Amino acid sequence: MAATRALARLATTRTALRPAVLSRGFASVTDTHARDPVSKTAEKIVPDPARKPTPESKTSTVKEPEPAKDAKIKSFHIYRWNPDEPTSKPRMQTYTLDLNKTGPMMLDALIRIKNEMDPTLTFRRSCREGICGSCAMNIDGVNTLACLCRIPTDTAKASRIYPLPHMFIVKDLVPDMTLFYKQYRSIKPYLQRDTPPPDGREYRQSKAERKKLDGLYECILCACCSTSCPSYWWNQEEYLGPAVLLQSYRWIADSRDEKKAERQDALNNSMSLYRCHTILNCSRTCPKGLNPALAIAEIKKSMAFT
Amino acid sequence: MSSQRVFQLGLRRAAAPRFRVQSAGRMMQRRWAATEHVNEQGAQDILAKQRLQRPVSPHLSIYKPQITWYASSLNRITGVMLSGGLYLFGIAYLAAPTLGWHLETPSMVAAVAAWPVWAKVTAKSVAAFPFFFHALNGIRHLTWDVGLGFKNKTVVQTGWTAVGLTMVCSAYYIFFG
Amino acid sequence: MASIMRPGLLRQGLQSPAASQRMFSTITSSSIRQTSPLVQKLRPALARSAIPKSTRIAAFHATQRQQILPPLPQKIKGTLNDPTPIPDPAPVHGSYHWSFERLVAVGLVPLTLAPFAAGSLNPVMDSILCALLVVHSHIGFESCIIDYIPKPRIPVARSLAMWALRIGTITLGVALYSFETNDVGITEAVTRLWHA
Repeated sequence: MAATRALARLATTRTALRPAVLSRGFASVTDTHARDPVSKTAEKIVPDPARKPTPESKTSTVKEPEPAKDAKIKSFHIYRWNPDEPTSKPRMQTYTLDLNKTGPMMLDALIRIKNEMDPTLTFRRSCREGICGSCAMNIDGVNTLACLCRIPTDTAKASRIYPLPHMFIVKDLVPDMTLFYKQYRSIKPYLQRDTPPPDGREYRQSKAERKKLDGLYECILCACCSTSCPSYWWNQEEYLGPAVLLQSYRWIADSRDEKKAERQDALNNSMSLYRCHTILNCSRTCPKGLNPALAIAEIKKSMAFT
Repeated sequence: MSSQRVFQLGLRRAAAPRFRVQSAGRMMQRRWAATEHVNEQGAQDILAKQRLQRPVSPHLSIYKPQITWYASSLNRITGVMLSGGLYLFGIAYLAAPTLGWHLETPSMVAAVAAWPVWAKVTAKSVAAFPFFFHALNGIRHLTWDVGLGFKNKTVVQTGWTAVGLTMVCSAYYIFFG
Repeated sequence: MASIMRPGLLRQGLQSPAASQRMFSTITSSSIRQTSPLVQKLRPALARSAIPKSTRIAAFHATQRQQILPPLPQKIKGTLNDPTPIPDPAPVHGSYHWSFERLVAVGLVPLTLAPFAAGSLNPVMDSILCALLVVHSHIGFESCIIDYIPKPRIPVARSLAMWALRIGTITLGVALYSFETNDVGITEAVTRLWHA
């Protein structure tokens, strides 16, 4: 077995014909135990996706490295799951941080944990100013962007950080957004027009028409709203969810778009749009202060009695 | 950035690939594992296999209790209670002649009249709270359907108003109505 | 340029580093094979050879609490670049259904308010209230079934539930018809019961 593997590795070693720099490879780690004969059998056992995380009381605590005398120590319970141990349960890991040495935002805390305490902690982040939507997660029970969420200064109360709710977890705080993006793609998020612009130059809008897009175009697709929606939790496969419906309305409301009827037809079934029961968690949680529920209500209104 | 620095950076970058191993900082993360190339389909297969192992992040149990989704789920629960009661009554009413029950209004009124006060109050509460909540919250939902009252603040205010009115109306009709 | 910076290049030359260098790396199988007691403990429970195989699997199955319809393992149809399928338009289950539902709900508002003001309704209004209640209840239960009994996953249970609901609704319709024609009417009955 080992010999064949070595041979296979030899065969795939980069040659002069295929320089590594040019080829965009799908790197997969060969020698991790995911390829062990033992876990080959484990691979066949599909673990229950609904397995509950081990509570923080049963896991270890990672402490602030060198706490100062006047340290403001706050605990953070963070959801962890390692894909290298696929059948293991997720667990809540506790980290204690000195708030005096930590930046004001939750993302600062996470980055500090990753830099100074536990480099295996995994999360998405990019812009650190609420414009990329990467660091969307569930902080203290509410979906928000970690970079826009202040750390509560009350040190007596621990903060709990989970990934976006009811999503499949790639690792730790990183959810798999594939379905979300596929749904976004299904609403054709681009201008659809057959007629050329009247002046032959550009598609013009009046100020009033442009104003209709305010509160819609600002959406950064962080998926906070969709993953806060109980309807989306239960019917993710078929219901599109607030974020995607808000985007759909952004194109339905656009005066330049000529496929309004087709867009509405695509939503006109029992699942895609009408699983929205105006729960309004979406508007409550939106870190950009948008109102997906209102957009959905506007779609419903525009389609009513037609 | 001055042009000199740009030039220096360029030099450094051009020089970088020559060294296979660079001395890295203490926090530099390295994975000492061999890699192999996998074709597109192979990569998809690995991904599909990994997906099967993934847990679903916690949802209902960790989401913060907020008037929005609590009121909505309560709306559904109370609706199911009321309609369920109605359905059960309907079935019982149709089955009554064959089963020998008496579900005509006069006999039911006579039966209820014989109950002790606490039983009456309990029965009235079980009917009144769900009814008023579902009715009042239903009006909230209807206003949203015409596109009004979507501001977060308004939603919270109307939500608690509905809860408060439910309490007041129910209490009034249980004890005085 | 970016590809030069990829750590993959570094990995090639360094396939078996010293143990101390592995500090921050993922645990590799070569390290697992050396069976020091610490490493044994670090291994996932399933891989621990000390536990007999049958126990391992039994323990795994027994630890999970039974849930009603827990989520299935993740499966994605097609790649990221394929959109999710767009269902055919079905306004009867979509916009018409929604509009009808709202009309019924709006109609119920004055009919439920009136008895509080007037004591009880006249037979015609009472019958309308009954009819609307039947429809409203049916639509409410129907949306519960659609929400909680997903058709693609358990189609048999879904159609069973739907048929049970239809039968129940018809039964309720017949029952309320007979109640309205033979008895005092629903609002009057509730009023009398309330004051009993």
